Amino acid sequence: MHLLRTSCALAALSVFALKGLAQDLLHKGAPQQAPVVLRNASLHTVSSGVLLGGTLWFQDGVLRGVHPAGEEPKLPDGAQPVVVDLQGKHVFPGMVAVGSQLGLVEIGSVRQTVDTDEVGELSPEALALVAVNPDTTGFPVTRQNGVLASVLFPTGGLLPGRASAIELDGWTNAELSVVADVGVVVGWPARGGGGFGRRGMRGTATGGGGDDGEATKKARQRIDDAFAAARSWLDAYVADATIPIDVRHQALVSALRGEARVFLLASEQEQIESAVRWAVGRGLRAVVVGGRDAVACADLLRRHAVPVVVTGVHRLPTRDDAAYDEAFTLPKRLQDAGVRFCIACGGEPSNERNLPYHAATAAAFGLGRDRALAAVTLDAAEIAGVGEQLGSLSVGKHATLFVADGHPFDLSTRIEQAYVRGRAIDLRSKHSELAAKYRARYRQLRGK
Amino acid sequence: MLARMRWSLAPSVRSVPLASLAPFALTALLAAQGPPHNGPRPVDPGWFAFTGGKVVRAAGQAAAEATVVVRDGRIVAVEPGGPPPGATVVDCAGLVLYPGLIEPWYPSDVPALDPARSDQHWNPMVQPQRDARDGALVAAADREALRKLGFALAAAVPSGGILKGTAAVVLLDEPAATAPVRVVRDRAFAAASLQTSRDGYPDSEMGAIALLRQSLADGQWFDRCRAAVAKDPALAGRAPQPSAALQALADQRTLPLWCDAQDELQALRLLAVAAEFERPAVVVGSGMEFRRLAAIAATKAAFVVPLAFPDAPDVATAAAAERTSLRQLQSWEQAPTNSKRLLDAGVTVAWTTARLRDRKDFLANVREAMACGVTADEALAALTTVPARLLGIDAHAGSLAAGQLANLVLVAGGGLFDEKAEVREVWVGGVRHVVARPKDEGLDGAWAWRDGWPGGEAATPPVVTIDGDKLTCALGDAKLTVAAVQRDGTTLTCRLAGKEIGMDGEHWLRLFVASDGLRGAVTTPDGRTVAVRCERAPKPADAAEAPKDGDGKTADADGKAKGKDAAKPARKPAPPSLDPLPTPLGGYGFVALPDAAPFAIVGATLWTVEAAGIVRDGALVAQDGRILYAGPRAGMPPLPPGTTTIDGKGLHVTPGLIDCHSHTGIRRGVNESGQAVTAEVRIADVLDPDDVSWYRQLAGGVTAVNQLHGSANAIGGQSQTTKVRYGVANPEDMHLHGAQPGMKWALGENPRGANGPGGGRYPQTRMGVEALIRDRIAAAIAWRREQDAYEALVPFRRAAVLPPRRDLELEAMAEIVGGRRWIHCHSYRQDEIFMLCQLKAEHGAMRIGTFQHVLEGYKVADAIAKAGAGASSFSDWWGYKFEVFDAIADNAAILHEQGVLVSINSDSDEHARRLNTEAAKAVKYGRVAPHEALMFVTANPAKQLGVFAQTGSLTAGKDADVALWSADPLSYDAICTATWVDGRQLFSLARDAECRVRILQERTRLLQRAAAGGAKGRTAKAGDPKDAYWAAEDLTEDYCCRNLMGGR
Repeated sequence: MHLLRTSCALAALSVFALKGLAQDLLHKGAPQQAPVVLRNASLHTVSSGVLLGGTLWFQDGVLRGVHPAGEEPKLPDGAQPVVVDLQGKHVFPGMVAVGSQLGLVEIGSVRQTVDTDEVGELSPEALALVAVNPDTTGFPVTRQNGVLASVLFPTGGLLPGRASAIELDGWTNAELSVVADVGVVVGWPARGGGGFGRRGMRGTATGGGGDDGEATKKARQRIDDAFAAARSWLDAYVADATIPIDVRHQALVSALRGEARVFLLASEQEQIESAVRWAVGRGLRAVVVGGRDAVACADLLRRHAVPVVVTGVHRLPTRDDAAYDEAFTLPKRLQDAGVRFCIACGGEPSNERNLPYHAATAAAFGLGRDRALAAVTLDAAEIAGVGEQLGSLSVGKHATLFVADGHPFDLSTRIEQAYVRGRAIDLRSKHSELAAKYRARYRQLRGK
Repeated sequence: MLARMRWSLAPSVRSVPLASLAPFALTALLAAQGPPHNGPRPVDPGWFAFTGGKVVRAAGQAAAEATVVVRDGRIVAVEPGGPPPGATVVDCAGLVLYPGLIEPWYPSDVPALDPARSDQHWNPMVQPQRDARDGALVAAADREALRKLGFALAAAVPSGGILKGTAAVVLLDEPAATAPVRVVRDRAFAAASLQTSRDGYPDSEMGAIALLRQSLADGQWFDRCRAAVAKDPALAGRAPQPSAALQALADQRTLPLWCDAQDELQALRLLAVAAEFERPAVVVGSGMEFRRLAAIAATKAAFVVPLAFPDAPDVATAAAAERTSLRQLQSWEQAPTNSKRLLDAGVTVAWTTARLRDRKDFLANVREAMACGVTADEALAALTTVPARLLGIDAHAGSLAAGQLANLVLVAGGGLFDEKAEVREVWVGGVRHVVARPKDEGLDGAWAWRDGWPGGEAATPPVVTIDGDKLTCALGDAKLTVAAVQRDGTTLTCRLAGKEIGMDGEHWLRLFVASDGLRGAVTTPDGRTVAVRCERAPKPADAAEAPKDGDGKTADADGKAKGKDAAKPARKPAPPSLDPLPTPLGGYGFVALPDAAPFAIVGATLWTVEAAGIVRDGALVAQDGRILYAGPRAGMPPLPPGTTTIDGKGLHVTPGLIDCHSHTGIRRGVNESGQAVTAEVRIADVLDPDDVSWYRQLAGGVTAVNQLHGSANAIGGQSQTTKVRYGVANPEDMHLHGAQPGMKWALGENPRGANGPGGGRYPQTRMGVEALIRDRIAAAIAWRREQDAYEALVPFRRAAVLPPRRDLELEAMAEIVGGRRWIHCHSYRQDEIFMLCQLKAEHGAMRIGTFQHVLEGYKVADAIAKAGAGASSFSDWWGYKFEVFDAIADNAAILHEQGVLVSINSDSDEHARRLNTEAAKAVKYGRVAPHEALMFVTANPAKQLGVFAQTGSLTAGKDADVALWSADPLSYDAICTATWVDGRQLFSLARDAECRVRILQERTRLLQRAAAGGAKGRTAKAGDPKDAYWAAEDLTEDYCCRNLMGGR
């Protein structure tokens, strides 16, 4: 029975085996119709270790069972499952790229294709999900390496906008969406000026700009004023619903209520300390994004249980005489300091596919593979606010996972299949199709 | 030229005869100049005898009693004995006499030349025809400031520009209204710098060097043309058009070239250019020469160094301290040792007050340098005999001897460099300048005001305390307001007011020394004048118990308290250590470069990137910088004596990695974007051996790189293939000799300026890029033909024709056309790649070493292969601009499949540390065999750069450029554990760990010291322009910005 079903699965996949399509012409995964059972696999659950020879199954896009070897899944009566024997291959939860602009940017230098930065310094009303292009060339290219979800950050200014968690396959923005509003991004200025938005996120030092600190102080005050005003508006609105809607205030409500996070872009020690103290003082759920000097703030971060998104392991040291591997060892040093963290790329969206390699470098420089894998899956999902949906092979979570012939940190590994919310997705991309097209050209030249 | 000098001497020398000391000659000279006197002529014999003082005749000689006799502006005798009859005696009792000091470098404002004139150089940075005498020479305020320090002479040099013009040595006296400044020597030297332009060519240091080189070559050419025309006037018709700039350069061929260097590397670069044109050179340095001491000393050049020491780095906050680099701290701490280190290394050192924030600090800085070990003799030499010799005026100045100009410094309070020394007088060419009169100490002290107190009845007499130019007046606890204190000999005047004690309005007081104390008068606001008498105040029994005023100082013992402070200065920090410094200065440099000692790695997996493939259980043996053996362990030869053996079990050995596209270590500008064609600029000229990225790349196994010009220009600069010999003395020691010369070209958006603001610079299209390149190729062919024709002539025929101009741009382009220099061409789209392949087909000898980036190379791999070009690509970058929208990660693999020689490069200081895994992406995306993928970062770039015979594989006989890895080098698990370059282990995890310990210790010590403000208690503020020494050091490197600069 199982073997028969396997061939069905392959037939389903062959729907996509059309030659010569540019990626944005590729089909999205079809909604999951039947339960899918992946058998005889090494299940890298992240949440509860590796299950060798395990089995998992999912239905309606949700994981229903994750079983160790010898334990049979209990499918609903009358189910007609698609069963795939993975012959010892590996299953991983999809990696989550936190803080990216995938789908908001097509070509970095072409302004018309960049939808990241709204006018004004305070634009929390901007919601990333609204501007995501489901047909971006970036999604398929990124998915090829097992990165199946992302938390998108608008950029620029003091309050660039609100972050949205998406999965990287879907016909519409609604299908992409995991959580539309995971939190508001705060470009907490660095003392010395200039530390807003992406710069802060990239962890570049911003000091020494000749600013006497006044500009920084004022900018930080503007952020606080925005939250104070939103609080007042909210209190009034709750008491009297006839008060007109202010979309900016409204955008901060979920953060004020503690339902959504505040993502504090901060890398320098003073920047992190002041940002966290501010957020904690306002009763907000803080996440530090950047975190270059976070080890020095470990006590504060631990006391308030504030996690850190490390935006990029492949970075240069900050100072001439700093250790050459300063950035490579940051995750390990955070772990040793007892600070919760996850790993992101922190660069251009076209490079988000390298997320596993940032983690792999951290792994080699002391973190170890298991922790590093968690840092780009479960920890990333939980820190960014989608831990209930993504990040591990756990019952109840989205069936957003991939099958590989090895560990995704190894460059020899091939990712063979992937599912997003149970939908088998096409792993080809503009890149793979262009490669095929031009290899065909050279075959033509040789008369083959 | 001689004629001009003679002519120019005449009006410039008023009373100082240079040619002869004979009195009749002086008379003749005086008679020959100046306007007629309005009335009877004044006669001043200028005959003085300085008696009773101690005389330091010259640096190196002890102070001895002697009489100095001066007549008509010259010293006529320095000998023991009394004054000659007839001379006016200058009583020098208690004083020490020194030769007047010489300021060898005074940047002087000289008006820029009128750009509209037809005979100017096309580039406003080249103004060699300027003469310091066209400007203000030494500004009045600076004349006085310099005299206060003891200077009598200064060389004024036009400021600004790359070729600045010529300097004039002038006396620092105050010329009469009708007479010109006394010039001791005109055209003392010509000056050059590497200044860059803000809005045109050159906007990079390498561009500045290229322009300097071309200008000096033009001067030689102009001179040869002139000579040819002089010989055969028939040639005049084709001779170069008259040019003041080129004529000046031709005339200056034998003048010393003084090189205004902003840092120690510029000093080396300017000296190299001077040597190329056989110009004697002197460097005007930065004060940071100690950072490259061995290289500086090896030049044998004399250095004029500023005694300007950087302020302590700003460490006001923990964050600021954290940002401060060790190199910055070391530079700050060690700056005062610069002269001592230079002198010990045998360098000729003169000192200048130039580049000081305030000239007043100069003597204090001299003392600081002396605290580091410079002797008084060396210090005096650096201010007298050495600059005199460098300026070619040692017959006139620098010592106290008969025949010298009467330039003397009279110093009280000990030797010139003593802390309490006071320069009293400076005699400039026989003219007296009083700097500070002796204080009449009869005025100083505390005085009880007995008679004439204008403030009504006082229970106790008011107390006046005088200390130099300071005066306080107190009545009990009340203190009067004092203003306008002026002291002249035994007299003092000031204003007093004290409303609270009934002295409403300003009172004018004057006091003078009398036999019974002080006497004088006070004039009240209503015009009454009252006689005043003061007596010495009784000394308070205990100053500490006296009532304190608001400042916390005892009111009536103010002067005394100050005296106490001065007597007990804050304990000075010990002078910095004179131990040898690491090269480069910073955390990871070497005090001594490691030896190329024999070593063997036994039992490791060898990635030979040769036919032998991957050898498991292999052995690598190296000796004298070469690989002796690389192969199976079983075949290992007997080890040379003294071999260090490394157990290679579980480890991997690869050739040192080679980065075919690097912008590491290119100082002050990766692009010369002032022009669209800059074939004349050379990366080699601006190699920065201090860049810490070299070290970081060693930590990633990199041993050689192709340093490329940026991509702003269709035809960029000449590239440099460099070994990562971190820690060598000279920048050029890093050159990989034998490499094929290269040049960066660029196609597509960047040379079009498409991602910038746009504008009128050609080209704006890919069509224009192509046309421009065609044009320069055509020009180079024509130029080469002309050169060849000239060079084919026998020498005597050559003399009969005009020589062709040496054009550095076309010379390099001709090398391109002839295939002796290879093109490394930034390119993305298939059309532009195809274009260059076509062009190459038209010029058979031309050779494309690599297409760089070549992200659409996979579309035209056949054309690239046919053109015999290599491809050097990123592993997986794409999407950051429009022309890379079709970039794919299979690019390298497809090119490789189609027979193109492929390398993977970094174009980034960060990626360069991970070239091994970047190459491994070709395995991942393109299914390239692992061993072949490693060739993408070893053998293949070596071939693309023409260095495969020396490096790039593990083969006996090749350079021992080797990287050792903890795991499969194509895996992210691999950590580079050691790297050898030429058999020297320049990186190892063990040494790195030691460095970290040392860095922490040194930082801790220096940050504490900086927090104390250093010896001078001054702290730099961020953005302080005086910290230009550090401007080139990026404390934070955003690799994206860096890349945009490089223009990926």
